[in-house]
Amino acid sequence: MRTPSGTLVSRFTMELVTALVTGSIGAIVCYGSTEFGIGWGDAGPEPGYFPFYVGLIIVLASLFNLFMAFKHYRDRVEEFLTGEQAQRVIAFFGPMVLFVLVTSYLGIYVGMILYLVGAMVFQGGYRLPKAAAVGVITAIANYILFEVWFQVPLLKGPLEPLIGIH
Amino acid sequence: MDNFSNLMDGFAIAFSMFHLALMAAGVLLGILVGVLPGLGAPNGVSLLLPLTFTMDPVSAIILLTSMYWGALFGGSTTSILFNIPGEPSSVATTFDGYPMAQQGHATHALTLAFMSAGTGAMFGVVVITVLSGWVTEFALKFSSPEYFAVFLLTFASFIGMGSGSAFKAIVSMMLGFAFATVGMDGISGNMRLTFGFPDLVKGISFLVAVIGLFGIGELLQTMEEGLRFDGIHARVRIRDVLKAIASMPGHWLTLLRSAIIGAWMGITPGGPTAASFMSYGLAKRFSRRKEHFGKGEPAGVVAPETADHSAGTCAILPMLALGVPGSATAAVMMGGLMIWGLTPGPMLFIERPDFVWGTIASMYLGNVMAVVLVLATVPMFAAILRIPFSIIGPMIVVVCFIGAYSISGSRLDLWLAVPFGILGYTFKKLGYPIAPMVLAMVLGDKAEDALRQSMIMSKGSLGIFWTNSTLSATIMVLAMLLLFWPGVSLIIKRLRKPAVAATA
Amino acid sequence: MFKTKLIATVLAGALYAAGASAAWSPEKPVEFVVTSGAGGGTDIFTRTIQSIIVKNKLMNVPIVVVNKGGGAGSEGYIHGASEQDNPHRVTFGTNNEYLLPLVAKMGYAAEGFTPVAALALDEFLIWVNAKAPYADAKSFIDAAKKGDGLRMGGSQSKDTDQTLVSIISEATGAKFTYIPFKSGGEAAIQLAGAHIDANVNNPNENIGQFKANMVRPLCVFSTKRMAPGPKISKDMAWSDIPTCKESGIPVDNYQMPRTIWLPSGVAPEVLAFYTDVMHKVQETPEWKAYIERTSQTGTFLSGDELRKYITADTARAYGVFKREGWLAK
Repeated sequence: MRTPSGTLVSRFTMELVTALVTGSIGAIVCYGSTEFGIGWGDAGPEPGYFPFYVGLIIVLASLFNLFMAFKHYRDRVEEFLTGEQAQRVIAFFGPMVLFVLVTSYLGIYVGMILYLVGAMVFQGGYRLPKAAAVGVITAIANYILFEVWFQVPLLKGPLEPLIGIH
Repeated sequence: MDNFSNLMDGFAIAFSMFHLALMAAGVLLGILVGVLPGLGAPNGVSLLLPLTFTMDPVSAIILLTSMYWGALFGGSTTSILFNIPGEPSSVATTFDGYPMAQQGHATHALTLAFMSAGTGAMFGVVVITVLSGWVTEFALKFSSPEYFAVFLLTFASFIGMGSGSAFKAIVSMMLGFAFATVGMDGISGNMRLTFGFPDLVKGISFLVAVIGLFGIGELLQTMEEGLRFDGIHARVRIRDVLKAIASMPGHWLTLLRSAIIGAWMGITPGGPTAASFMSYGLAKRFSRRKEHFGKGEPAGVVAPETADHSAGTCAILPMLALGVPGSATAAVMMGGLMIWGLTPGPMLFIERPDFVWGTIASMYLGNVMAVVLVLATVPMFAAILRIPFSIIGPMIVVVCFIGAYSISGSRLDLWLAVPFGILGYTFKKLGYPIAPMVLAMVLGDKAEDALRQSMIMSKGSLGIFWTNSTLSATIMVLAMLLLFWPGVSLIIKRLRKPAVAATA
Repeated sequence: MFKTKLIATVLAGALYAAGASAAWSPEKPVEFVVTSGAGGGTDIFTRTIQSIIVKNKLMNVPIVVVNKGGGAGSEGYIHGASEQDNPHRVTFGTNNEYLLPLVAKMGYAAEGFTPVAALALDEFLIWVNAKAPYADAKSFIDAAKKGDGLRMGGSQSKDTDQTLVSIISEATGAKFTYIPFKSGGEAAIQLAGAHIDANVNNPNENIGQFKANMVRPLCVFSTKRMAPGPKISKDMAWSDIPTCKESGIPVDNYQMPRTIWLPSGVAPEVLAFYTDVMHKVQETPEWKAYIERTSQTGTFLSGDELRKYITADTARAYGVFKREGWLAK
């Protein structure tokens, strides 16, 4: 057992994953830039020149980082995330993703009310009426601030028209 | 001296109860839009534009410029307190401002930021007052090769700053460049790296990235450590404010350097964002406390704030005198000028001196007022930090996502902010620097455009940067010096040693 | 011929009457989508119309203006066409609505919109630096025939400016190196700083430098000279500028329409409503002041007339794009 107890993800694993992810982004960029020329023509670089070499550098540097990860972190006992930390991060991150998901279908106002109420009740231990009040007031304040005052339309879903808000 | 008497006339025009009230209203509204990420000064100004159609132009520009000052100030507040830059130009303020706040020096950081910002703005107005004629000529000397040289200088002043792995810094910066190329290529008119997604045609917004990388990334980190903002003692004591003000003269060199950088970048459309990054980079490079930067070094707040405001103020001049806006907000104001029936350009100074000098005079008054008002808001923001984290945490999330959406009303941007948040969190924990990515996203496409325009001019020869003008050659030399500074300083040391030995 | 025209007129009249009887009017705030950044030509066009509508109470609902200028305006068009039956979203632009999709994959189709009206035609001129040695358009073209030719700057790539430069080259044999800048304003400053030899800016983009005698117009691409008025620079009024045709460049007309669009899925009465509003807008004194101030040509094209104009404009640009190899694959 190389990792200390309670470690969920080791630093080594995370270094590997990150290098692989950045490397793949680089590869995608390289691939995407071949759609237009990647050469150096009469009028200087073609449209794909910069993205292509930028992508290539990302791939190469990521490979180097991958190599360094093996060199430095494979035998080292270092955690990236302990089980306890992961719990805390997920307890925060999960609801946030749910909020974005709800928002994309039901609009940002419904999303924010549900999210605020959920977070206050389940994580903050507040009573429902208080949480609901905070949620609704926040939504109304944002509505007034953005839509009425600054005339910036925010994402609305199928529910707002029911109460006459467009 | 001619300018001075003009300025006095300007004060006579700008100094009325009505105008002072307009300034106060503009500044307060500006602080509000500045504080909210996603709502920026350009939004605020375009919102107020219809209101100004019935005003006389001097009152109208006073309202709009005051809003601009307010937004510039407001942007720094959230950078320092929550690590969420309210404005692109206040990204560099987070580097040291937020650590200071975490260590319990929020008041100190905010006061420093506002005072430096005020100093930078004052410097900018003085530059405008004294040099208005000369500045116009200077700005006309800039073409694509000179712009590219300036961008290179900005990158050079920032490179080699991190203490971690160079390859991680390279990955970070190159990712920034790659994100900046998404969307329409201005030189060829092609759509690059959109992979058929209509939502990507407009490109990846720098603000969405910043909201994810800084705002959400930071929240994740806070959660992991279980900190819940306990680190921030948000008590406001007048003593802290005074102490911060008293420490200002000690930063005179940083202030002066940053103000000059800001003035330069504001006049030549490098913009406030580039100015703040460049001046942060140089402040760190020339500091004796290099290793303290990024961990709550006061000079790391002073430098970007001074440059930001100096640039923001100076950006008004090319707008009035040349009709080239030095910043996005100036572009909106210029639209306003045309709707009010004024023609921005060199003749504006001759045709409507009352308007021009009234505006310049109002910049002095407006900035003083902005410093006072924004200092008055500090206790209010500090109070926000006392709200329990289970309420304020989700609220910050909501504000972040509203910001991400409202930038261009795109659903995809909501989803983009999430991976950027994960990226920010992971990068920070693994020692990948984030600043190079942000800088590359801001300047990447501009630098590429300038390079390719130059290449069209020179038919593909890179020699143009050295031969086009003494200006571009000089800037290139400066950039090269900075780029190879570690090597250069080593050589200087070597040369000095034998010399010392010889004399001894 | 006469008969079909008569029938068409009657039909149109009937349609109009039908539209009038079942008159549509907006039920909620109307969104005006600007296909340029804040401060751009289209932005000022839209906000001027907004201010006229508000001032003269031509619509009974609020107007929300949103700028979507990303990707040379395609961001705005994608947004404008995204809800095909949304009658509360009007898109403002130029001829780029139907020209952009020809040169690149834009994420929207020109057919996704139905044209409401064209309210103004913006003129194009050849401008040179005031100190340049060219006395008239002819000597300028002659200079451009020698050696590598001259540097011409403009706004955007494969857009109206570059198309015009290509048309001039084709018509005269002059050689130009075209340098694309972000905006016409930038091209104006580059010319004032003598970094480029010429640009083909609209009057409004160069007026500041023109007033200050930093740049000088050589000719205007129009069938007749511009409207007379006071002197703009020390010795020239707009009407003193010769047309390009009379100066020996065989291109008699090149203008950019400022256009207004609806998603193509909306009902005819919606189209009739906005056409009517725009018709009222262009009759106001404020609109005339805008036209005069920006030195554009006022016009009002709608319905079939506008469609015909668009077809002709597209065909002309298509020819240029094809010759230059710009057409999207």
